[in-house]
Amino acid sequence: MPTVSEMEQALTPTWCPGCGDFQMWKALKQAIENVGYTYEQFAVVWGIGNAGNGADFLRCQGFHGLHGRALPTATGIALTNPELKVIVELGDGDGYGIGGNHFLHSCRRNVEMTAIFHNNQIYGLTTGQASPTSDQFMKTPSTPGGVIEEPVNPVGVAVAQGATFVARVFCGDVAYTQSIYEQALRHKGFAVVDVFQPCPTWNKHNTFKWYAERAYKLEDEPDYDPSSRVKAFEKALSTFHDLTCAPDSCRLPVGVFYRQEGVPTYQEQLPQLDAPMWRQALQPRDLTAAMKALA
Amino acid sequence: MARIGERRTKDVSIRVGGPAGAGIKAAGQSLSRTFMREGLWTMDLTEYPSLIRGGHNAITVRVGPEPFHSHAVDADVLIALDQLTAEKDLCWLVEGGAVVYDPASVTGEGWPAHVRKVPVPLDEIAKRNGGVIMRNTVALAASLALLRFPLEPFEAALHAQFDSKSAEVAEGNVRAAREGYAEAAKAAADFPLRLAPVADAPERILVDGNDAFCLGGLAAGIGFYAAYPMTPASTLLHYFARHEHDGVVVKHVEDEIAAMNMVCGAAFTGTRAMCATSGGGFSLMVEAFGMAGVTESAVVVGVFSRPGPATGMPTWTEQGDLQFVIHAAQGEFPRVVLAPGDREDAFHLTWQAFNLADRLQTPVVLLGDSYLSDNRQSVLPFDTERVVIERGKLIAEGEVHDYLRYKDTPDGVSPRALPGVKGAEQLVNSYEHDEYGWGQEGERAEVRVQQDEKRMRKMDLALALAPPPVTFGPLAADVSIVSFGSTKGPIRDAMDELAAEDVTVNFMQIVTCWPFPTAEVSDFLGKAKRSLVVENNYTGQFEQLIRQECLIAPDDRLHRYDGRMFTWTQIADKVREMARQEAPKTPEVIV
Repeated sequence: MPTVSEMEQALTPTWCPGCGDFQMWKALKQAIENVGYTYEQFAVVWGIGNAGNGADFLRCQGFHGLHGRALPTATGIALTNPELKVIVELGDGDGYGIGGNHFLHSCRRNVEMTAIFHNNQIYGLTTGQASPTSDQFMKTPSTPGGVIEEPVNPVGVAVAQGATFVARVFCGDVAYTQSIYEQALRHKGFAVVDVFQPCPTWNKHNTFKWYAERAYKLEDEPDYDPSSRVKAFEKALSTFHDLTCAPDSCRLPVGVFYRQEGVPTYQEQLPQLDAPMWRQALQPRDLTAAMKALA
Repeated sequence: MARIGERRTKDVSIRVGGPAGAGIKAAGQSLSRTFMREGLWTMDLTEYPSLIRGGHNAITVRVGPEPFHSHAVDADVLIALDQLTAEKDLCWLVEGGAVVYDPASVTGEGWPAHVRKVPVPLDEIAKRNGGVIMRNTVALAASLALLRFPLEPFEAALHAQFDSKSAEVAEGNVRAAREGYAEAAKAAADFPLRLAPVADAPERILVDGNDAFCLGGLAAGIGFYAAYPMTPASTLLHYFARHEHDGVVVKHVEDEIAAMNMVCGAAFTGTRAMCATSGGGFSLMVEAFGMAGVTESAVVVGVFSRPGPATGMPTWTEQGDLQFVIHAAQGEFPRVVLAPGDREDAFHLTWQAFNLADRLQTPVVLLGDSYLSDNRQSVLPFDTERVVIERGKLIAEGEVHDYLRYKDTPDGVSPRALPGVKGAEQLVNSYEHDEYGWGQEGERAEVRVQQDEKRMRKMDLALALAPPPVTFGPLAADVSIVSFGSTKGPIRDAMDELAAEDVTVNFMQIVTCWPFPTAEVSDFLGKAKRSLVVENNYTGQFEQLIRQECLIAPDDRLHRYDGRMFTWTQIADKVREMARQEAPKTPEVIV
């Protein structure tokens, strides 16, 4: 099985100094090593953006897809090879904006795979426009008068739409991020991990300090029960914040919001998917019965 | 207007018309199946608006003892299930043709004098035997009586359809059929057309183009099919879903964007994967179609055209997407576009499309249209002995060393090791990339040139592997037709009709539209006395391709863009007109 250093036999990261992507990269490699996949047992699919650029920095069996379309590409892999764990790396514009429709439908499908969203609340690669998760009233080159819309609520949407593992972390805490990744990877079902990932270059508002002052672990709430979908949704609604909120009036829960075990995965409900589907093309299928039905 | 019995061919045609939801298509198909099982050849033409109930639907069944290639539009017998049909469809009736109708709901007033009225109390007979739902049974039986076709095969078909549901319903249908048959035989004892079963005929299957595409896909070992429903491609989704137990994962997805991206993901695992749609859905797929090109994914995409742009005419036909599929997606990459002309082509080109996709590691398009997708024809069972599976440079198991997914090779095709193979770390990349797949490296000028040239080199291999044009008729002819896709049927019927006349005609069917078979087409046009391009669109997209690739301007052209396919008589008339004109001396070469 590959170690962190083996996975690093790739190109040198080009993220800006201080980018939260470095912490996420570190956490993912360590989580993969800890879970113990061999190279033959997992595949990673990336979308496009600074999150997607991570494709060049991780040696594995990977697929760097299109902007917004990593989830369907990953689904195509997961639904045709039951021997692969599929990990998807997306950004906030990528996964919640242009790919929002796929996000909705991936949640309700419960395909077993892990989707990690680099949520920096800004478009980094295209130089700082508002993203679907930018806070309301935030001024950016595409919203000089401030963002008018409510931000997308990824945790709320995922819980509402049936994802069976929904977590959010702040990547500043690498060890905790890694532990949540490991739980997500071990989950039998569709796992969503939304990661607060500061962009020091383009988002001067949601900084490391800003997140660090507001984030607290859900598991520190004595009576929080991640098996309750209703509580998870309530908690997701409480996480909205605005640009000016003071740290103690604007708490950002992180950790596992919702986890439901034992829900049949999409793959488990496909009896024909008992081996990689390329094996269906070893020889021509017999069409006798299919043609008889048309006679 | 044609007169009854004047058609040169020995077939007859029956048109069934009524409101949507009245089971018009099913009625026509049960007629076709009955005829086919009695040794006759059939072809249906369905015409329907894009709605579920009301409006006006029609199906025309062409049937005869000898094979033919296309549909009939004029009707010898019209079954008018409502007043609207009588008003709209009388224009299709040949002179002296018969109309079967229920005098309780259709007036029969004001019809031209030549119309042979066959009033049959359809509802009354149906109600007497079990319910109004049986009125189509009564009407179909009446049409058989007009042609003196025995009723027993139809009775057998009714038993086959209903016995498993209820013996009572089956018996009721048979009784209703007998009454309708007797009533019409009495009312039109001297109707001149005759249709008889053919003994000892070979077994046939009744298939539309979509059935044929699906059978071809199944034969090829398809393992994944993803689609969003869109007319006329939707029935592939239904067919493959019914055959999931044969080992196909079928996904009805949120949109065509997802379909195409999923198919690329499935191809990554080495699965034979396909999606199909119409022009609108393909518009959504285009970005990922290009991704299949740069990632060198072996995928098959069905694009079954209807008149556009935008929503257009959802249930009608056109060949308006040829240039679109040849050029779809930004940038340059190799692709293959195959255009089946009939059901036989659709079957064989589909399994060949999977082989081409695997051998070339690039997207292959099956370009069809509603005319092919929607209409059923009786054909000999497809020759499955011809099917072979060629997966090209695929490494599905074992171990590789120093593996490079995009290794530069003489033919442009790199060994393709699947995830799961030991040592097959790789980055399949929608960005330009180096031989491993790293994206940043792809920005280097020399790497870009290497990878671009490697991919485009595959076009030479594509030209060598893709099916060549097919030529029908004599080597030299008064008129030489060039066309592609489903115009094949009417063109071949026109040739059969002209065979009895003093006009010779030959026809080159372009099977692979891209890469374009420049040498063969140039040779054919170079030898042509008078050349004619036939295509079902306004702008002449196929002719543009000929001019671009062969630098030859065809002498004449025949276009149609009203949502309907050419009739064979329309093509025959054009050929006669051209044959009467003095031939141009040499083909015009564009310089």
